[in-house]
Amino acid sequence: MIELAKYLLRRFFWMLLTVWIVYSVSFVLMRSVPGNPFSAERSVPPAIERQLRARYNLDAPILQQYTDYLKGIVTRFDLGWSIRLEDYSVNQVLAEGFPVSASLAIFALVFAIGLGVTAGVISAVYRGSTLDTSMMVTAVLGIAIPNFVLASLAILLFVFLIPVFPAAGWGTLRQVALPALCLGLPVAAYIARLTRAGMLEVLTRDHVRTAYAKGLPKRTVILKHVLPGALLPVVSYLGPATASVLTGSLVLEKIFALPGMGSHFIYAATQRDYTLAMGMVLTYTVLLFVMNTLVDIAYAVIDPRVKLQ
Amino acid sequence: MNELAPTSRLGDANEETLRRLLAEAENIHGVSLWQDAWRRLRRNRTAMLSLIFLILLVITTLITPLLPLQSPIDKDLDNRVFLSPNVTSISMGSRPGLKFQDTSLVAELNAFESSVAEERDVIAKLSDTGERQQAQAELDSRIDVEHPFNQLWNDLGPVSFAMCRLRVAVFGDFALPSVFGTDKLGRDLLARVFWGSRVSLVVGVVATLVSLVIGVSYGAIAGYFGGTIDALMMRIVDMLYSIPFIFVVIFLVTFLGEDSVKRRLDAVGIDQITIFYIIIGAIYWLTMSRVVRGQVLSLRHEQFVEAARTVGASPARIVFRHLVPNTLGIVIVYLTLTIPAVMLFEAFLSFLGLGVSPPDVSLGLLLNDGVEALSSVKLFWWVVVFPGAALALTLFALNFLGDGLRDALDPRMKNR
Amino acid sequence: MAVQTRRFLLMVAGVVAFAAIVWASRFDALPPAEMSFQNFSDPKTLDPHRATGEPESRLIFSLFSGLLEMLPEGAPDPDTGLQPMTPQPALASHFDVSDDRKRYVFHLRPGIQWSDGTPITSADFVWSWTRMLHPTTACEYNFQLFSVPFAEEYATGTVTEGDRVEVELWDRPGETEGNEPNPQAFPRGTILYGTLIKIRKPPPPELAEDASEGERADAEATWTEQWVYDIELARAAEDGSVNWNDVTETRSFVVDPSSPEADQSTTRVHGVLVAFDKLGGMEAPDPETFIVNLKNPLPYFPSLVAYYPLYPVPRHVVEEHGMPMWTKPENIVTSGAYQLDLRRLRDRVRLRKNPAWYNADEVKIELIDAMSMEGQNTALNMYETGQIDWVTDPPAALMDELRKRDDFVSAPQLTVYFYRLNTTRKPLDDRRVRRAIAMAINRKQIVEEVMKAGQTPALSLVPPGIAGYESPPGLVPDLDEARRLLEEAGYPGGRGIPKMTILYNTSEAHRAVAEVIQQQLQNNLNVKLELQNMEWGSFLDKVTQEDYDVARAGWVADYSDPNTFLDMWVTDGPQNNTGWSNKQFDGLIRDAASEADPVKRMALLSQAETIWIEDMPVIPIYFYVSLNIVSPRLEGFAPTPQDKHPIHLLRFREAGEARP
Repeated sequence: MIELAKYLLRRFFWMLLTVWIVYSVSFVLMRSVPGNPFSAERSVPPAIERQLRARYNLDAPILQQYTDYLKGIVTRFDLGWSIRLEDYSVNQVLAEGFPVSASLAIFALVFAIGLGVTAGVISAVYRGSTLDTSMMVTAVLGIAIPNFVLASLAILLFVFLIPVFPAAGWGTLRQVALPALCLGLPVAAYIARLTRAGMLEVLTRDHVRTAYAKGLPKRTVILKHVLPGALLPVVSYLGPATASVLTGSLVLEKIFALPGMGSHFIYAATQRDYTLAMGMVLTYTVLLFVMNTLVDIAYAVIDPRVKLQ
Repeated sequence: MNELAPTSRLGDANEETLRRLLAEAENIHGVSLWQDAWRRLRRNRTAMLSLIFLILLVITTLITPLLPLQSPIDKDLDNRVFLSPNVTSISMGSRPGLKFQDTSLVAELNAFESSVAEERDVIAKLSDTGERQQAQAELDSRIDVEHPFNQLWNDLGPVSFAMCRLRVAVFGDFALPSVFGTDKLGRDLLARVFWGSRVSLVVGVVATLVSLVIGVSYGAIAGYFGGTIDALMMRIVDMLYSIPFIFVVIFLVTFLGEDSVKRRLDAVGIDQITIFYIIIGAIYWLTMSRVVRGQVLSLRHEQFVEAARTVGASPARIVFRHLVPNTLGIVIVYLTLTIPAVMLFEAFLSFLGLGVSPPDVSLGLLLNDGVEALSSVKLFWWVVVFPGAALALTLFALNFLGDGLRDALDPRMKNR
Repeated sequence: MAVQTRRFLLMVAGVVAFAAIVWASRFDALPPAEMSFQNFSDPKTLDPHRATGEPESRLIFSLFSGLLEMLPEGAPDPDTGLQPMTPQPALASHFDVSDDRKRYVFHLRPGIQWSDGTPITSADFVWSWTRMLHPTTACEYNFQLFSVPFAEEYATGTVTEGDRVEVELWDRPGETEGNEPNPQAFPRGTILYGTLIKIRKPPPPELAEDASEGERADAEATWTEQWVYDIELARAAEDGSVNWNDVTETRSFVVDPSSPEADQSTTRVHGVLVAFDKLGGMEAPDPETFIVNLKNPLPYFPSLVAYYPLYPVPRHVVEEHGMPMWTKPENIVTSGAYQLDLRRLRDRVRLRKNPAWYNADEVKIELIDAMSMEGQNTALNMYETGQIDWVTDPPAALMDELRKRDDFVSAPQLTVYFYRLNTTRKPLDDRRVRRAIAMAINRKQIVEEVMKAGQTPALSLVPPGIAGYESPPGLVPDLDEARRLLEEAGYPGGRGIPKMTILYNTSEAHRAVAEVIQQQLQNNLNVKLELQNMEWGSFLDKVTQEDYDVARAGWVADYSDPNTFLDMWVTDGPQNNTGWSNKQFDGLIRDAASEADPVKRMALLSQAETIWIEDMPVIPIYFYVSLNIVSPRLEGFAPTPQDKHPIHLLRFREAGEARP
């Protein structure tokens, strides 16, 4: 337990460092990119632009902006007011978007893990059969098609050809199903391949042979003796999987008109909404960091040989 | 491993034994790792098919300008918008808007070349050197601007230009019919898929090579030195894993697309697409570095490394001459998995409108166009199916080849 | 790791995973609205003084009412089906105009109130217009009131000695001397009135030769803050009127107290502005009468009044909650047909009927969802599956199919699509090159094969369909002439033309047009153009900094008058951005602005457009049509010249009623 606490403490320190570096880099990047948050089709007269700059503390010397904003984040968790969505503070935007993105990601991951592991196990157990081949071909297909294409095809198929899901929107379980499916499918495909490879390797190990020799039923052997070991690569893939789910949701939110964080992420960056963009980058950084840490812990939990460091 | 077994330890064994051992050794046919892997790979049918497909793909992308394809950029808005796949033959330069002589590329090219030749004769007869040079420069600029190829292909490099010239010489006005259909601006999809694959594949390969260089050096250095340096370097990698890179990419793409920056880069001969490769490559090195570091970590106490160290090889030499070649197997496997990831990333950027800019074309751009035309109201299926199939097939092949290579290079599979 | 720990963690993980799934499956499903439509992107704000753009305007026109409103009048045009819209009384029951067309007297409807029951009075208009113009509000449309005396000086913060001014003391709520400023300009600090007798300026800052424009502007602004104003304060009466001749005392004021010119007696203030609301531009003699006096006889002034920046905002709510909190659904109070029920980012804005609206009986739909949705196919899919009733942005790729349908509503729109040319760069600084390029573009092909929705080729600037205005004959596309002009300009056969780039903001439609123009110029003139796309932010920056060769643009009429298209091209106009300058053109625009006779005025504007066409600082490409797909179950939807569709006029068709 103490070992774990120590580990978490150390990771927390690294997270702070990461967040700080990301903050600094994004700060510099954002301000070195051409364009400013107040550009509009009707060009803003200089007097008005100055007023706007003052409102967002953009008229202060650059170093002071850097420290002021950092101070706000550290002391009050205050990411400031969004410049483009001016009726909202960044915290409010996050509060609205995060639950949506989170539940989409959870559904997608649950779906991906469920489907991926099942498919992987089946295909490993019936290795070389037609079922195995077709599942693995499907899995590669899932990896080989960009998810915006996948989503568009899925809409045609499941909305128009066989009308089971609504076309877009957010708010009901039926509405979340199709985007979660599209988001989870590439991850599921990857997991299926990893599980299969892991299973095949573990199946040849001595302790499995022993278990079989003892006369244990096949199902017990696979679930109790093979699967935990075979899932190790899957667990270590969950960190990147989260990242890919978060990235993928940028696309799917656009196609399915979902009110998640992903679209803010792109808009904030392309529209030079300094505060919102910063809020998004920091949120994603923390999310990814937490996920990676969880994955490391999970790894140590499943595999006793692994030490947390 | 194919390094020589150290014989020095046998020094105090008696000569008889030594001779016997040597004789025995001569009878054993050493099978190198690579030969062994190749043997196993050859037995893997899917992997071999994939390899053949990929080799063919590389060849076709290299010689795309030679193939009798239609122009990838010529838009026949008046007659050929959203044509479904068909086999109606089409001849080059037949679109009236091009205003080619006899509506034929060959005729136009001949006319153009003969007029250039005439002018050249006139220039050759000029006596004054300065005048001649000036006339020559004028002619060159005229060729540059007025060459009929400008109408049909975009920015051909010297090699592609020569290939196009050869293509016209061989196939004349013949071009393959639009068997993939045409797109919303009346361009031939078959040609676009070929030219697009060319760009996508180049993006994939070059970006992967960039990631390879960064990842391998970084991983090898961390692994070789170990200890604090290793811990620190790997912590940095951990940290980078947590950075949402799309954001960085969006910013870099806009920053580097900035005119002043672009001009400066142009001056050193780097164009936007090169930068594009480098950015993507710079993102995908993380996993590579981890993998290489793991390998190097396990190799660095091997005897051949010790040996190199005792003979006084510098760390750099040890890392890049002795350690890195030994990680090649796993690196190749990861390469075949990184290329697909990069190609998908390119498609993703195209979806966001940050990819290559027209008239250049990539599979991502084509797919983005295709998805747009995918609607329940009217289904232009061919605009998405063919580019999608091209991308999927490429990625399929790369994935299967990667799997095959992994199996083949797995030492545990040796002699199986 | 100890076995117990591992087991414990496994359990924790199980519980957390389960909880996460349960949490994720809980949805607070909204009851469906009666009607919903695609409102494109998220509204930036719902504050009428801060908003710009289409999605915002659709919402604000439903939430707020003005003195006048643009409403359909008369029968639709028999050819185009276009429903004419005119400014008609809304919060004002009627208005009178003086003979010299400079004085407007608006009579408010009796009994009008905000959605919380507070009465709407003429004082609300005085206050709202002042807020709209106040520099801190930074309203992008504030120029629409610049025909009111002192409005421009007020909005831009220009004061000169001798002006009658207002001084806002440093005592906004929450402010103390030396404290950080309160960025909320409303409620305001104590206002003093007086006559500015002298401005004491410290020596202007010295800047390095190579200082950038931004640095210069900054230094200038910092310097301005150090000016000390000596003002003879005047006595203000109880009713708010000011007796300018009744001087009480003379005091000095400064924005930046550290100014070298300031002394002990100098008071820190937020700013010194002309006393706009006390100088006769607006009058509110009684709660139901609101009078506006103009500098020039502006024939389109009623159209401006009917535009949302001049709508009143609820003073009591703005002052209580401040900006932007007053626009939150729980705080906002509206004056229009609808009130704000709910606002979810990237999802929807829900409008609920406002029973306090003066014409509430006419509003037939109780609950409306404005969906924030940009994906063209997404919106169309939702429409096809019955999730929304009105698509405002149908995909161009499907136009051929969509146009055949009955639910497709389209008509010419007062909007022009054009390419700005940078007239300060070679070769576009040459009029002949500009004209040659303009002549070599085949607009018919673009309109018919790319846009495909019935747009019309544009050979002049002002779209047809503005009453009383006749555009001069446009440019005549002529390839031979184009080649000749190019040769004349020193580029025979396209040789020697420097590399040029078309800049456009990321969008499929813009890309398609740019690609086609690229091919046409290559085919027709051997002129090679490169394409560069940028997302909106960078794109605008490039254009405003005039750092481009050719840049795509579109211009929507702000009001139904040619002036909206023409006056942007005056020398150094804020929207000009081409570097083009023509003294004769400037003069004509100026003359037209002060011309009272509408016929003569139109003639002047037409002359100005002729000059513009001759000079071609910009290549017009096509005139837009409005594109809407509207469910047959809705009625009251008609195509209009500015693509404005008052939502409160929509209603559901009775069952069995056929579509006309």
